[in-house]
Amino acid sequence: MERFVDLAVSAILLAGLYATMAYGLGLIYGVLRVVNLAHGGVIMAGAYLGWVLHGSLGIDPYLSIPLVVLLSFGLGMAMYRVLVRHLPRGAAGGPASLLLLFGVWLVLRNVAYLLFTGNDQAIRTSYSTRSLLVLGTHVSVNRLAVLVIALVTPALLQLLLRHSHVGRAIRAVAQNADSCTLVGVDVERIYTLTFGIGTALAGLAGLLSATIFSFNPGFGSGELLKSFVVVVLGGLGSVLGTGVAALVLAVVEVFAILVLPSYLTSAVGFVMLVLVLVFRPGGLFGHRVLG
Amino acid sequence: MTPMLQVDAIDVFYGDIQVLYGLSLEVREGEIVTLLGSNGAGKTTTLRAVSGLRPPRAGDIRFRGQSLRDVPAAARCDLGIALVPEGRELWPMLTVRENLELGAYGKRARPSAPRNLERVFALFPRLAERQRQLAGSLSGGEQQMCAIGRALMSEPTLLMLDEPSLGLSPLLVDQVMRTVAELHASGMTILLVEQNLQKALEVAQRGTVIETGRVRLTGSAVELSGNPEIRAAYLGL
Ligand SMILES: Nc1ncnc2c1ncn2[C@@H]1O[C@H](COP(=O)(O)OP(=O)(O)OP(=O)(O)O)[C@@H](O)[C@H]1O
Ligand SMILES: [Mg+2]
Repeated sequence: MERFVDLAVSAILLAGLYATMAYGLGLIYGVLRVVNLAHGGVIMAGAYLGWVLHGSLGIDPYLSIPLVVLLSFGLGMAMYRVLVRHLPRGAAGGPASLLLLFGVWLVLRNVAYLLFTGNDQAIRTSYSTRSLLVLGTHVSVNRLAVLVIALVTPALLQLLLRHSHVGRAIRAVAQNADSCTLVGVDVERIYTLTFGIGTALAGLAGLLSATIFSFNPGFGSGELLKSFVVVVLGGLGSVLGTGVAALVLAVVEVFAILVLPSYLTSAVGFVMLVLVLVFRPGGLFGHRVLG
Repeated sequence: MTPMLQVDAIDVFYGDIQVLYGLSLEVREGEIVTLLGSNGAGKTTTLRAVSGLRPPRAGDIRFRGQSLRDVPAAARCDLGIALVPEGRELWPMLTVRENLELGAYGKRARPSAPRNLERVFALFPRLAERQRQLAGSLSGGEQQMCAIGRALMSEPTLLMLDEPSLGLSPLLVDQVMRTVAELHASGMTILLVEQNLQKALEVAQRGTVIETGRVRLTGSAVELSGNPEIRAAYLGL
């Protein structure tokens, strides 16, 4: 029982992280029709940013959330203005944008190697080892905090997309950009903002991951692939669908540990990706363009 | 008095392909002008040029005497220019109400959005009934109402409609034409693109006929309906 609760908590926690990353990737793809291969690099950058802020400036990783989110948001907007804006989009732009954003990832990764070497790092705080009793098991305070943030984030996002003028414009641009221009929406501004929001989610996910897992400059590639799985499973742009898909992936991964040898568990996500692409190419919940 | 809209010898391209050749057109305040022509003549392109989605490479477009050359497309709705695009172009996964509310996104119209929403619902009670439905689930006629409603939400002074009767049953075509006439009666200036020449010439005061991107004829609705060439080519008479 204790083991079960432990695994369940791990699964929910992972699901929160996956959902945060995946939503960033899905939002950018849904609105801009660009597969942001640099997403993994930003996840890694978020982890290091939190690590540096904690290690050198002594800022608690949870207190650095606003700063990390803001900086990743700015990085995303800059990436859009300087690079992505000039790329061909959609089917025509596939190879060009994939290569360019993959290049951005490589640059981010190599900068990290240069600055931080390839050693594994982790953010360790005074409460990293402290735990609370939940349903008869000890759960680390840190994991609970990550879980809460991973639940609050999609709620805020949903609020933004559903109930603000800008959020509504973001969803509308995903569906028909010319009509947005006709009603006075500055579509380029929406693209810039969206790229910023998606990138901010990646930075946040990286920071949160860094409080739980160790990382090095190669961190983020597995996370990117899992984000793909979640986006494909959950359909584009549905916050709820993304959450459920992230939970499905996390539960399957975590409980696979019980029945599969450990070297196979990381393949679980890809098996799911292939199965979904074959049997439900529209995702588990069908096509939803940021509806 | 300067006309409300002056399209002055514009050349418009899609990539390297030229589609409009020195096309000129005028709409005066308070008029309904219809833009006529067969498939591919360049009617939609003309409206897209005016709304800024496809700016001309040569020539000029002036609105109330002001050149639109340096006015970005997204700023034109604040000047009072609205387009009901060909094929509706709604946001299918947003609700009817969200579609309408986004119509008032511009700075000028946003404060009066609640009042204008009431007006649109009064004009199209059907939309009020369906306001919580996704726009993509509406019938063709309802989608057209929603597209017109969305344009009205920006409080336009010049309303451009691109084939609003396309794909509608004759009954609905009449209803759309009545709506156009009502809006005109309420003081709106209208530029109407139609394939349905007969209907268009019934409501319009003047018309311009274009052919492969060039103006072929301009005249009053009466002149155009009486023109033997037009009767032969477009009205099948
Ligand atoms: N996106 C595009 N790319 C290339 N050519 C285009 C594009 N859109 C339209 N054209 C071409 O421009 C010409 C004018 O098209 P336009 O849509 O303005 O005609 P139209 O008068 O509105 O026709 P219809 O009655 O069919 O709506 C046509 O020859 C068309 O093939
Ligand atoms: Mg057309």
